[in-house]
Amino acid sequence: MDVTLGLLDHIPAGDDGGGAPSGGSTTARSILTGSKEDNMNTMVISGEVNSSYPIVDENLDDLELGLGLSIGGLKSKAVVATGGWTQYARILTAKDFSASLVSKPNSCSSSSSVNIPNSSTSGTKRTATDSVSPPNGTSVVGWPPVSKAHRIPSSANQIKSSTENFISKPEQNKSKNRTIGMKDCSDERNGISNKKYRSVKVNMDGTLIGRKVDLNAHTSYEMLAQTLHEMFFSRWSSTEAVKPSRLLAGTSEFVLTYEDKDGDCMLVGDVPWQMFLGSVKRLRIMKNSDCNELAPRFQENNERYRTDSV
Amino acid sequence: MDLDQKRTRTVDRVVDSVDRDVESPESTPMCPFPDEVLEPVLSLINSHKDRSSVSLVCKDWYNAERWSRRHVFIGNCYSVSPEIVAGRFPKIRSVTLKGKPRFSDFNLVPEDWGADVYPWLIVLAKAYPFLEELRLKRMAVSDGSLEFLATNFPEFKALSLLSCDGFSTDGLKAIATYCRNLTELDIQENGIDDLGGDWLSCFPESLTSLQVLNFASLNSEVSFNALEKLVTRCKSLRVLKVNRNINLDQLQKLLLQAPQLTELGTGTFTQDLVTRPVADLETSFGNCKNLQTISGLWDTNSLYLSVIYPACASLTFLNLSCATLRSFELTMLLMHCKSLRRLWVLDTVGDRGLEAIGLWCPLLEELRVFPADPFEQEEVAGVTESGLVSVSRGCPKLHYVLYFCHQMTNAAVATVVQNCPGFTHFRLCIMNLGQPDYLTNEPMDEAFGAVVRSCPNLQRLAVSGLLTDLTFEYIGKYAKNLEILSVAFAGSSDLGLKYVLGGCPRLRKLEIRDCPFGNAALLSGLTKFESMRSLWMSACNLTMNGCRVLAKEMPRLNVEVMKDEDSEDSQAHKVYIYRTVAGPRRDAPPFVLTL
Repeated sequence: MDVTLGLLDHIPAGDDGGGAPSGGSTTARSILTGSKEDNMNTMVISGEVNSSYPIVDENLDDLELGLGLSIGGLKSKAVVATGGWTQYARILTAKDFSASLVSKPNSCSSSSSVNIPNSSTSGTKRTATDSVSPPNGTSVVGWPPVSKAHRIPSSANQIKSSTENFISKPEQNKSKNRTIGMKDCSDERNGISNKKYRSVKVNMDGTLIGRKVDLNAHTSYEMLAQTLHEMFFSRWSSTEAVKPSRLLAGTSEFVLTYEDKDGDCMLVGDVPWQMFLGSVKRLRIMKNSDCNELAPRFQENNERYRTDSV
Repeated sequence: MDLDQKRTRTVDRVVDSVDRDVESPESTPMCPFPDEVLEPVLSLINSHKDRSSVSLVCKDWYNAERWSRRHVFIGNCYSVSPEIVAGRFPKIRSVTLKGKPRFSDFNLVPEDWGADVYPWLIVLAKAYPFLEELRLKRMAVSDGSLEFLATNFPEFKALSLLSCDGFSTDGLKAIATYCRNLTELDIQENGIDDLGGDWLSCFPESLTSLQVLNFASLNSEVSFNALEKLVTRCKSLRVLKVNRNINLDQLQKLLLQAPQLTELGTGTFTQDLVTRPVADLETSFGNCKNLQTISGLWDTNSLYLSVIYPACASLTFLNLSCATLRSFELTMLLMHCKSLRRLWVLDTVGDRGLEAIGLWCPLLEELRVFPADPFEQEEVAGVTESGLVSVSRGCPKLHYVLYFCHQMTNAAVATVVQNCPGFTHFRLCIMNLGQPDYLTNEPMDEAFGAVVRSCPNLQRLAVSGLLTDLTFEYIGKYAKNLEILSVAFAGSSDLGLKYVLGGCPRLRKLEIRDCPFGNAALLSGLTKFESMRSLWMSACNLTMNGCRVLAKEMPRLNVEVMKDEDSEDSQAHKVYIYRTVAGPRRDAPPFVLTL
């Protein structure tokens, strides 16, 4: 069974409402949805923690060095024994994303199977962007009274609304408590949280205009994939071919790659999130056909991480 | 001229005396003022309110008015039927129609509620085949309707769709293809299916009459080639608002072809790779000597904003609600905008940005501050009461404000209206529900009390924050000119609504949500509702029985209740009441009950 524990950083949201000047609207939204996505990730992954303990334990025994990513002193057995909530470096597989994304309502369709408590009066035809309901607690339709006209169209808003509707209140509170407990790990995270934002350019093959995305507002590959999906593929939402999960897994028509510090073109998802943040310079969505030489590398990396574990 | 003789011929005695000045000595006793004189005179009157008054003078004037009217304004499409309109006004060239209640903008009105324009179009096609203009707000417009419009009105010139939904870019294709004399295509903030941008390529080469083109709210890319050619050949183009997909290089080409523009909406206002020097862009803006309005400016920052400085001196309206500017960026920009009358910004500019407004824009009349992230619960920076106070200090002519904030004090509002007593529109939205004065912890009653006392010309008011019945007592007592009132999550008892319905003689539109007002309060306004356009009450304490009583007592009102699966049968969860001469709706969907 794949190890599917995720690395979660709670990046304090709401630094300043303004966000970055260039690529402004996107990044501002991204910053502020950090915490909401966190809850989603926490909830999804927490379920998997229990079931994978035995496997993790076994692997940890072999581990001499941790990867040094926001883990305060990885002492294998002690950690497991306390049953405390700690973090593990993420090993991402396609299964990761499909598992957690399957439960997310497709933000652009009117899925009647998802219980959207606040929009019952708005009818099912409205997309999630239209029936954005406010977060945690208030759950009031149409408040504040900002009409469609004056809502800044942004990917992050769409992410928020789809997760909002999915998570019920008690779970949101529970998740929030958990993420707070994680705050005291890692100086690396502190280093990042000092920066207001960190945006990198994203270009897609075949599209003239590049975009910018704020990496600090994202806590996982999955979140990043969702943002990019909304940015570039929002009009194709009905197309199966470009679901965010498949974007990362490299099974769709497009592949997400990045250029690192050394100028090399790497496949996104290989390395743990924090390491990725440290080395990424810009992102590029390539057509799958251009990218074949990278595929073996992905597999190779995957193997390596699996044996060394964590 | 015998006044008594004249009086027996009047239909409505609303106006008692005829203005003696218009009597001509040559006029016959039967018709003191021949139609040949009256009609041309009346044709100069454009305000529909004035025309309404004119039509009430006497039967002659009623007739002269109806024959000379070219534009009809219908504020509620269900208040009258298209047949009645066609029957009264034989020579209409322009129609303005408004449909859904305003709260539909905030998802409070279910889909398929109505306000379909198609039944209107059918009648209009027969009655006014030479119709030239159609302006719709909050109507349901299908592609079929747009095609019908495009193919049945050969003289059709101007189409404006504001907050409408139900159509797609296919409908726009029809308009572009068939309307040979099109002068205006204005699409704003609609819920439409954007199926692609090639509708713009459907404008024929022969079309040169376009004056207004606004497609800023559409998402898809349009053919720039087609757009450039269109702009080049339409020499009378004065309003051009493109969408976000048009980049800076393209914008520059457009500006080159259309320096005569008075209103410009840019596309995305930043670029990774600038292919021309920024100076070129600046020159282009400098060449647009007639620019009064700039909007769009997506993703911009100070580097690119500076290119519009040459055009700023003559700007009267600057719409920055798509640009997440910070205070210093706004300040640098405003230093060039001394003539500004209207300004829309995001709250990312903060109180510091608002101070700059007070400093640099002394002629400012209207300010709208929108929240960049309205749904973020954690404390985000935004604007506070001090920002609004600084604006009021520097802008004594301010009369329209729409302000979204997280905190406010009674004292601040009192100061604001003391500095600017000329307010006509005061819309304050404290985004946290039921928030009191954050310094004194008292309700915000005194704030709105100060507003209605200090601003005798107040026409429109929106209240928020923690409010008791006292607020409404103030409103009912002092707001003599108030026409539109929006209330949400306020009041303590029926008294609140009773105060408003008992006062406010000019009230036309009242929209209320989530307030503890019940049947007694509703029924206290029995006689008032016929003088109003409409009343909306949702999530209050109304019951079906209360509404039935109202419906029974007032047959010329439509009392409509929208049923909800969640609410109980006896509760009237959403109530929409409006006066009408058309009787109950014939196209009401199953969830709308007319009592």
